[in-house]
Amino acid sequence: MDFNDPMLVLNSCIGQIVDFGLDLLWRFIHIIVSLCHIVSGIFEAIESYAISLGLIQRYCSIDIEKLKCLAVVVDIEAAARDVSKVIELLQWLTTIGVKQVGLFDSQGLLKKSKDMILEMVPRSVLLQETGERDISSDRIALEFISSSNNKEAVVKAANILLEKYLKSSHPDKGEEEGENVFTESHLNEALRVVGENVQGPDLLLVYGPVRSHLGFPAWRLRYTEIVHMGSLKYMRYGSLLKAIHKFTGVRQNYGV
Amino acid sequence: MLSLVSIFLTCLALILIPCLFIFRRPSFPLFLKKIIIFINTTASQYNDEEERYGTIGEKGKRGRMPKHVGIILDGNRRWANKRGLRVSEGHEAGARTVLEHAMDCFAMGINTLSLFAFSTENWGRPDGEVNFLMAMFEKNFKSEMAYFDRYKVKISVIGKRTNMPQSLLGLIHEVEEATKNYKEKHLIMALDYSGRFDILQACKSLAEKTKNGLIQVEDINESMIDKELMTSCSEYPNPDLLIRTSGEQRISNFFLWQSAYTELYFSNVLWPDFGEAEYLKALTWYQQRQRRFGRRV
Repeated sequence: MDFNDPMLVLNSCIGQIVDFGLDLLWRFIHIIVSLCHIVSGIFEAIESYAISLGLIQRYCSIDIEKLKCLAVVVDIEAAARDVSKVIELLQWLTTIGVKQVGLFDSQGLLKKSKDMILEMVPRSVLLQETGERDISSDRIALEFISSSNNKEAVVKAANILLEKYLKSSHPDKGEEEGENVFTESHLNEALRVVGENVQGPDLLLVYGPVRSHLGFPAWRLRYTEIVHMGSLKYMRYGSLLKAIHKFTGVRQNYGV
Repeated sequence: MLSLVSIFLTCLALILIPCLFIFRRPSFPLFLKKIIIFINTTASQYNDEEERYGTIGEKGKRGRMPKHVGIILDGNRRWANKRGLRVSEGHEAGARTVLEHAMDCFAMGINTLSLFAFSTENWGRPDGEVNFLMAMFEKNFKSEMAYFDRYKVKISVIGKRTNMPQSLLGLIHEVEEATKNYKEKHLIMALDYSGRFDILQACKSLAEKTKNGLIQVEDINESMIDKELMTSCSEYPNPDLLIRTSGEQRISNFFLWQSAYTELYFSNVLWPDFGEAEYLKALTWYQQRQRRFGRRV
């Protein structure tokens, strides 16, 4: 019994030492990774300024025709505090020649500032107002999206398909009837009926601390390129050009 | 004594950790596995504190491990082309990587690992490649069933299953049945999977339940769709972290509904080369991000 007490104390001490060492080790890994991010961030900032000044030739002309629809995801904090930054971003995109931009924030704060944004961004129109017409080369069509256009919209569309299914279902058809109603094209159509745009953006730029699309309409994201741009507060024109230029060089196999 | 041991461990880390970021395939994997297990022990301490006190401070966020990690296994063909090998050899190398690293993931405290191995769009590939892949899945399920059973890994296969060979379907059923009672580790293989199809089949399932009088139309909402998705087989259906290898920056129809607040990590490394060092980078990167699930801080 006496022999066991010192052994227990020793085991406990060793356990505490090991725990402390592990904590140090884990923090050290975080430091290394943070340093790597800081260094790469510095290089990116330098490159971005060089691109903005037109010093890097390949970014001077971009084939913008490939980019039919661009979407921007904004963190809710930025959407609440930095609407001016959003306007500045849209002005940059107009300069670059982007014709269609979807603006997303999960709470719909940008939707509430829609009128101000349309007023402040020259030659901008609401996407819904353009209808089927091609957007003219000097205009930019804006779409305002929030979480209500994501899962909530799919639920509404699903209800439309459900009603169709219940009306048309026949006891003999069963499973086959379900397959005829629940197809991608039917859900696309149902989403259009509830007023949603089903066009998937070619490129999604995420401005915020998190590399996540924050609830952007899931149905539209199938083949979208997603690029994390960092904080909206520190956005750079050069980084934007670089992201768009990189997208124009991407070749998708679409799984084949 | 305490400070001496701490200094020793720090020196060891100074020597070993940089190697994680230099060597793609470390020549001393045994040390790396031990480091990963050590890190898991530390991280689990933070998780325990969070559960005990119910608060998530900055320290807690730093130490949090993802419960569900999804991986889009991309780059097998390019890996083979770079080495002058056949495409089939690239896929075999990719399969070996899956088997080698699945257990490392669970050792790191990850409960659910989802692997996007074959998409619905992949049926459009050449017949020879598709047939090889189906045969390879069959071979690996057969050979690894005892391994997963021994290590108590629950296996689930999600996807359409309409075009798969009957022999593979039978084997999938057998593996799922044999491992269905395991809870701690869950490996989800997405075969013939499409995110859009997942949403559609959830809607169809709800429609059938409504037709049979099990639910009312007005009851259908987002959480009901959540429960009908194929990932409802998991305790953690929404991935915390989604990794895509080979440098492509898109989710390619994987977990569209489930990935609303998922951290996306795009690695330039091709899947067969994705090793412990890349896992560590992805996990430390995950821990340094803040996730607010759309709420204001």
